[in-house]
Amino acid sequence: MEVPIAAYLPEALALAGALLTFLMDAAGVRRRSAIGGLSVVLYSLALLSVLGDLAVFPFTAFATIPSGLVDAGPIGPIQFTSFGILWQVIFLSASLLVAFASLSEGEGEREVPIFYGLLSLATLGMLLVALSADLVFLLLSIEITGISTYVLVAYARKDARALEASMKFYLIGALSTAISFFGASLLYGAYGTTSLSVLSKVPSAGSEMVMVGLGMLVVGLGFKVTAVPFHMWAVDVYDGAPDHVSAFLAAGSKKMGILAFITVFVASVRLFQVSNAWALYVALGALAVVTMTVGNVLALQQRTMKRMLAYSSISQAGYMLIGIAVDTPAALAGTTIQAAAHVLMKGGAFLFVAAMATIGVGNRIDDYRGLGHTHPATAASFAILLLSLAGIPLTLGFVGKFYLFAAAVEAQGMFIFLAIAGLLNSAASVFYYARILRIMYMVDPQPRSAGRWTPAVAHLADPGAGSTPPSHGGAKSAVGGRLLAEIQSLGVARWTAIVLCAAFTIVLGIYPTPLIDLANNAAFHLINNLP
Amino acid sequence: MDIPWLSLLVLVSLGGAFATFFAGRYARWAALVVSLGSLVIVLAVMALFQPSLDLQNTSNSCAAGGFQLCEVHTWFTYSSSTSAPGFSVDYAVGIDGISLVLILLSAVITVAAVVYHWSEERDPHGFFGLLLLTNAGCIGVFVSLDVLLFFVFWEIVLIPMFFLIGHWGGPRRHYAALKFFVYTHVASVTMFVALLAMVFLGHWDSFDFVNTFQRQQVDNMQNIPSAVQALLFGSLLFGFGVKLPMVPFHTWLPDAHVEAPTGGSVLLAGILLKLGGYGLIRLASPMLPAGRSLMLPVMLFLAFLSIVWGAYLSLAQRDLKRLVAYSSINHMGIVLLAIALWTQLGVMAAVLLMFAHGLVSALLFMVSGSVHHTFGTRDIPSVGGMTARTPVLSTMLMIGSLASLGLPALVSFPAEFSAFLATWNTLGYWVLLPLMALVVTAGFYIWMMQRMSFGPTRGIPANAHDLPFPEVMGMSLLVGLIVLYGILPLLIEQVIPIAAIFGVPCGAGGMWGACPSLP
Repeated sequence: MEVPIAAYLPEALALAGALLTFLMDAAGVRRRSAIGGLSVVLYSLALLSVLGDLAVFPFTAFATIPSGLVDAGPIGPIQFTSFGILWQVIFLSASLLVAFASLSEGEGEREVPIFYGLLSLATLGMLLVALSADLVFLLLSIEITGISTYVLVAYARKDARALEASMKFYLIGALSTAISFFGASLLYGAYGTTSLSVLSKVPSAGSEMVMVGLGMLVVGLGFKVTAVPFHMWAVDVYDGAPDHVSAFLAAGSKKMGILAFITVFVASVRLFQVSNAWALYVALGALAVVTMTVGNVLALQQRTMKRMLAYSSISQAGYMLIGIAVDTPAALAGTTIQAAAHVLMKGGAFLFVAAMATIGVGNRIDDYRGLGHTHPATAASFAILLLSLAGIPLTLGFVGKFYLFAAAVEAQGMFIFLAIAGLLNSAASVFYYARILRIMYMVDPQPRSAGRWTPAVAHLADPGAGSTPPSHGGAKSAVGGRLLAEIQSLGVARWTAIVLCAAFTIVLGIYPTPLIDLANNAAFHLINNLP
Repeated sequence: MDIPWLSLLVLVSLGGAFATFFAGRYARWAALVVSLGSLVIVLAVMALFQPSLDLQNTSNSCAAGGFQLCEVHTWFTYSSSTSAPGFSVDYAVGIDGISLVLILLSAVITVAAVVYHWSEERDPHGFFGLLLLTNAGCIGVFVSLDVLLFFVFWEIVLIPMFFLIGHWGGPRRHYAALKFFVYTHVASVTMFVALLAMVFLGHWDSFDFVNTFQRQQVDNMQNIPSAVQALLFGSLLFGFGVKLPMVPFHTWLPDAHVEAPTGGSVLLAGILLKLGGYGLIRLASPMLPAGRSLMLPVMLFLAFLSIVWGAYLSLAQRDLKRLVAYSSINHMGIVLLAIALWTQLGVMAAVLLMFAHGLVSALLFMVSGSVHHTFGTRDIPSVGGMTARTPVLSTMLMIGSLASLGLPALVSFPAEFSAFLATWNTLGYWVLLPLMALVVTAGFYIWMMQRMSFGPTRGIPANAHDLPFPEVMGMSLLVGLIVLYGILPLLIEQVIPIAAIFGVPCGAGGMWGACPSLP
């Protein structure tokens, strides 16, 4: 079937974003409002288009893909699946979130166009991953995002830590790409094709070679999704990168790895007729358990906010891997919902860290003391995001986890252990999330002399910290003024982005049906449309 | 037109809680209005509650399960991989005699706590908002008839209590708040896995549990092998037992109580502990009969352990609040014992005892809060002769203590009497064990009263004044109910047997009526 060129509208918009941004840079237009505004507009259009393609009610007019093409099998290296398009929504939301919030960042010399241009390129790669039906196409798309993000981490050129992070990211990324391609080439050797669909007609040859090839893909992609033991780079990179880039890495490009995982394994295990598929599932299950456990245990011990969030992001990747290991429609729907939730939770959380950094709050968790009283709206949003990360009901994070764990319990057998491991982990994670809530809401804003890691300058200790109530608040009329001051100090766009993340987390947590229907439908087609 | 009374109740409590957060300096009025509003709705629900049910001739599955005022709406669908249409996760609410008694308790205690704290000065909007949110969560648990909805409300309860302890609590509040949160959360996820496994293994057609009370569903549940049932029951026993709390999972309770502000303690002891007992009665015991009988020795052992251990730990306490906290463990042990018996009389006694303990422990925690800020200490040996200087406070202390030790004509007496009668009917002479613990309980309360209320005046500051008006009002409300239901226990006893697990009311005879054994 002929594919109309308009079907590639989202990808074209992302590419246009990159090209136009670099052209504007060459023409000397480097104002953040102009360049950032362009990206926000383009991403919004792309988002409308993909929502239209999914036939989400008010956006159907924006559909560009003929409905006959969706879930109709691959066209060369490309396929339009409702699953892929749903993930495009997730990717574009992440990019839009970061692009929009970054409008509140300061102006730089060359930084602004570099940031937005690379962001668009990275988005392009992610969108292509969602379309791919071919291993090489998939890995090349991943590389587009990969190379963009290596540079994106270092776009603040004078920050030594960011440069170090970029270098680490680059080296590990190159290694993981090499491993993935090696694995893909082994599969090519076994089957004579890299297409993820033609293979079904080819009888399985040399199952050892296939297993090694798939194993190498697990390792290569494992680096991308920060699965333990391939996670070492992630924390340093998230910690060293500029805050908004960390938000994008956690919210956006990590999801790309998850989708690549799903594309490769859900399709390949069925299509390649792998003879020892159970071993692959055991490996994936083990990977999921180890990832969430190690991520959690290490997150417990962190004293800086970004490292804590990075480790918690690793453990969240573990939850998403549960869905891939269980490999039923419900489980993949769960992974999708969890990924959508993760965009809001981690994106919002890193943006909150960025916002706090701009007003001089340090990066240590103890530095967040009393923010609940000094910055009520953003702190409440952050609290909601943390509760969602912990999987407390009435948040989207709970819905995602419920779906994942329920699917694992339903699949029975060894999968129940995945659910138990996941639940124990999410129970343990409550500890470090609650600790932050405690610090934000129950510790007075003034620095205190107690505590081992308070610097010596904190001599302003209040003597009766335990018993005297903090005197915040005041006249009722001041509330509006304080809110306005909070918005101004954090930047309107960033403040709005954070609050919107929390709002979506709650709204979709209370009324998840639209998202669940989309995810169910997509996952159902993904599995049942395989030949 | 049918008014959705239970949704209204949940909405008023939940929405009112959020409204109170933003009520600024009118927070206490907002809190009073909201708590009285939910009490009024509960009273309306009581008036609408039908004393007799025609279970056979109804098409509504919720009503056929023995519930009243049912509302069932689909919330979202869990698309299953095996069953074609998927499981619907419903917003399903309804009540039976057991939940009715407990929502009444919830509403009453919240009103009393709000009135007691009328002059709270530290962030009153947050304080009252969180009190109401706790109440809303508890009411939600008691009315929900869907596994997921039940869990949602169950978890909602944790958050406000965490903040109540952590922000308004005593010197070690941070430690106590975290311990409370993590401990109870671990328990609730264990419970949640077990509930999910029950849904899938029992081949339910939705996450509703109203259907499980019908014949076919019960048969489905019986197809689960007994070993698996025992495992599930054990997980649920742990999940609910932590809340109860049952020894050896009780260690969070003394810390939480001692550090919590008075209102927090009142809600914690008055309502939150009842969630555990309610869960055992509503979910664990009826649905996993084979698991229950396999785990019965464990349950009985833990019940006896809680009773005896709680009583002896109370004896050793110098802090009035700790004493009340440990005596709660003792009383909830009796509840666990009564549930473990699983006879109609036993279950009725358990619910009645939960009701009684809710009122009495709320009163005692109010008294210890007042003792603390009147005398500056809760240390029992260093305060004496209260009757002479602060007669009202002393009277309240005595009423609470006497009620707690089970004096006839106060509400605990019929409850404990039924519990011991049920124990005697099933276990025979084993009843002597909890009875002896009861003697210890009586002992420590009388000893405490002797030291604090009577004797020479000591440790009372010269400027100590008797109870302020709001505190008297809060306590009087509880005292009134303690006496009312102590003299007329039938008011409650008639309601409890109209419960979904009984199927049919156990007779107008109240606790002496003929109650056959449960299925």
